[in-house]
Amino acid sequence: MPDKPGSRSSGFDRRAFLAGAAGGALIPLTARAASEDARAPAAQDPALPVEVTLNVNGKDKRLSIDARTTVLDALREHLKLTGSKKGCDHGQCGACTVLIDDRRVLSCLTLALAAEGQEITTIEGLATDDRLHPMQQAFIDNDAFQCGYCTPGQIMSAIACVKEGHAGSEADIREHMSGNICRCAAYPNIVAAVKQAAPEIMKG
Amino acid sequence: MTAAAPGPRTNMGQPVPRYDAAAKVTGRATYASDMPLDNPAYAFLVTSAIAKGRIDRFDLDDAKRVRGVIDIVTHENAPKLKESKLYSNGGYAGTTIQPLKSAEIAHDGQIIAVVVAESYEAAREAANRVKVSYSAAAPTATFDSPGTTTAAAKGQNSQFKEDPKVGDFAKAFDAAEVKLTASYETPTQHHNPLELFTTSCTWMGDNLVIYEGSQYVHGLKHGVAEQLGIDADKVRVVNPYVGGGFGSRGSMTPRTAIIAAMARRLNRPIKLVPTRDQGFTITTHRAETRHEIKLGASRDGRLVALRHEGAEVSSRPDAYCVGGTKTTTRLYACPNVDSLVSIVRADRNTPGFMRSPPEVPYLFALESALDELAVKLNMDPVELRRINDATRDPIDGKPYTSRSLMACFDEAAKAFGWSQRSPQPKSISDGDWLIGYGCAATCYPTLAGPSAARVRLQRDGRTRVEIAGHEIGTGAYTVIAQTAAERLGVPLEKVAVFMGDSDLPPAPVAGGSNSTASTCSAVMMVCDQIRQRLFKALMPSDSLADKAKETVGISPAPSTQAAKSDRSLDIEKAFDALGVGVVEEYGEWKPEGAPLDSFRAMHSGQVRLVGGHQMKDQIAYAFGAEFVEVRINRFTHEIRCPRLVGAFAGGRIMNPRTARSQLMGGLIWGMSSALLEATEIDERNARYVNDNLADYLVPVNADVPGVEVILLSEEDDRINPVGVKGLGELGNVGTNAAICNAIYHATGQRIRKLPVRLEDIEL
Repeated sequence: MPDKPGSRSSGFDRRAFLAGAAGGALIPLTARAASEDARAPAAQDPALPVEVTLNVNGKDKRLSIDARTTVLDALREHLKLTGSKKGCDHGQCGACTVLIDDRRVLSCLTLALAAEGQEITTIEGLATDDRLHPMQQAFIDNDAFQCGYCTPGQIMSAIACVKEGHAGSEADIREHMSGNICRCAAYPNIVAAVKQAAPEIMKG
Repeated sequence: MTAAAPGPRTNMGQPVPRYDAAAKVTGRATYASDMPLDNPAYAFLVTSAIAKGRIDRFDLDDAKRVRGVIDIVTHENAPKLKESKLYSNGGYAGTTIQPLKSAEIAHDGQIIAVVVAESYEAAREAANRVKVSYSAAAPTATFDSPGTTTAAAKGQNSQFKEDPKVGDFAKAFDAAEVKLTASYETPTQHHNPLELFTTSCTWMGDNLVIYEGSQYVHGLKHGVAEQLGIDADKVRVVNPYVGGGFGSRGSMTPRTAIIAAMARRLNRPIKLVPTRDQGFTITTHRAETRHEIKLGASRDGRLVALRHEGAEVSSRPDAYCVGGTKTTTRLYACPNVDSLVSIVRADRNTPGFMRSPPEVPYLFALESALDELAVKLNMDPVELRRINDATRDPIDGKPYTSRSLMACFDEAAKAFGWSQRSPQPKSISDGDWLIGYGCAATCYPTLAGPSAARVRLQRDGRTRVEIAGHEIGTGAYTVIAQTAAERLGVPLEKVAVFMGDSDLPPAPVAGGSNSTASTCSAVMMVCDQIRQRLFKALMPSDSLADKAKETVGISPAPSTQAAKSDRSLDIEKAFDALGVGVVEEYGEWKPEGAPLDSFRAMHSGQVRLVGGHQMKDQIAYAFGAEFVEVRINRFTHEIRCPRLVGAFAGGRIMNPRTARSQLMGGLIWGMSSALLEATEIDERNARYVNDNLADYLVPVNADVPGVEVILLSEEDDRINPVGVKGLGELGNVGTNAAICNAIYHATGQRIRKLPVRLEDIEL
């Protein structure tokens, strides 16, 4: 995929950043101060803002952010798209699920920099002209949520689940929707919603 | 009509879709941390790595060097905050352990510093660079750890006044033909609502706005005001949507006032998003419990003696307990009852209510013991419960307002196919899988609390309902809108409901399954005030005004059709007669038997819930029966629960769709409390080990193949004007016992300690 105009114009050195970040992750906290000087010349301060352009719901958004910013925090804190939720920030709950180039991705485990040049679709990008996406409508029809906090992630995951061909049976849906925790436990209703929406989504 | 929207039976409302459905499926529903802030600074917590001892020294140099750090607060420089008493002692707090006050550490994971920075990333990095030197002491973790102290709950917990007893237990147990003594254990659990325990604070001059997921906005408002030492009218708590509560957001935690005070000092909004693991120690949890049950019965199955002794772990300073003997001593007819609840103190954070706080652990013990007794008597466990069904509270002799326990057993048994069960353990199998069936009763007290509401009606029928209730996923918006639409006779789509804002008229805490009863009773009353005004305008004669008055209070709501055809005409004419454009009414409702200071307390952010066994002349509980199938692999010992069937009677069902969903979620919670959920404690260090969503097991979709919810028709006009008993906590009680009873049926092995792990199965 060709680079989008304006991408990576900051002169940010990805290799230097990764070296610094990975080193930081591996060095125990107590030893960190001692090693700081040794690697300082190679590592850029990650808090220095980096220019990045994200394509979100069909629109290019230019941001100046901390290089460690995840796609989730870029959406929520910088683009004010708060539909994607933070439930664990560890890739354990699925509330942050978005589609990146049509694949379901945990946006809390994806750096914004790494998503540059890819198409990000969030819950806010599903409905068109006041018409709900079939999966959104199916979630309403089947009461597939209670508190609603996991719902954006469930819906994004459900759309991908259908497109991946994993909505053939209830058991299949259950298995492939198990990366998204619903603490209210609306699970049987979520399965019913995926079943309802699947044919329409497959039709295109 | 989908399975999600069962058709209403007698005394049920319409299964309309949720009021907030479109907002929730489009991402437009704004939870606390979604609220836009003007140039916020980001806070990150540093929490204690020891459970007991003191902080000798902080080294903040490294942390301060992180680019973007604005402020680091420790006990040495923290804003001074006033202490708040426990909510049960006239305060607002869920714990009296106030962090950042001194160098002392009372529990693992206590907040010891807060970093504020220009970005979340910088705050996180700096927090990780805070170095702490401790003088650690050996902490006491839990039951059996050296250093615990144990004392009776009575006398130290203001809400646990009496150990229920009646008759002469010792004598009757001695003389009983059949006896059972058994001990049970339940683990520590954490609510883990999916929304993190975030707090955003922003000041506008002297006025503070707090965005925080709360199950009690008025309580939080008054609590934070008290801690900051400012007028409560200057504090506003806003959370139109809450990403799950389950009890975790019912009382104030220390974090809120800390962030508020730091935002004031910084003169800038601060947003705190704690991590998932921090959520395990900066809020509350369900404490681990131990039980001993003694049952004495005649050979024909009649209970003659029942004793329930329970023990619960709490923190050093706070005597928290759930004391479920208030329910287990009253569930079955038995003339000789004894009980005792004790509190065991350890170096832990203070526990708090978690979905069905008393009933989940205490009914696990009782409903397991009853199954064991049925085996001893060679009797069907359903029949054992039928023989001992009660019409009166066995302790006080008061009649139940209504009790459909056996009707629930019969409907659920039929749907489950219980009659096909062969009672012998290990008698059913399918290939490598041993199959077992089990059942248990559930019940939950019917509670309500004082609530206010404001309703505004326009000539064209547009209606605005304002009430500081809470949408934690229960369907509160929906049933309140339905109540107003029915009562005023306006179309549902013309009703707008505003909740989750402490500037609105106060409603009780969204806990104890009281919300629907309390808020809908208040809204109904205020709608009736509007009806009265309209009627009076149209027909000023006394008799007709009296007739209008009759509709106020305890009377069934008019049917939707009748309301639609008559009232819309009335409304327009009445507005013409009144010569106004808007009619607005405010009212305050309180349940019968509410204490004299109810309304004063309501306006001070304190709750006076009444009901259950504490009513004057009667006792009110909701009931249900749960049946489960378990399958256990004879080689791997893997335990699966393919079928959960529950039948429930909860008075009027406002909306069968939201009711079914809540009970379905409850059943799955119940399964989870039997097979999945436990917070593991490192006993040497008094630390929670599995403090994340990968290691703290909660159900996922693949864990839950089949759940069936049956809603029974039940009418009860003695509980509250809307006739609602509350369902939020009914579904997950007893399920844990039903599963262990089914495991016994599958394997012949009785398991008395939760959760059941595959290594516990011995085949």
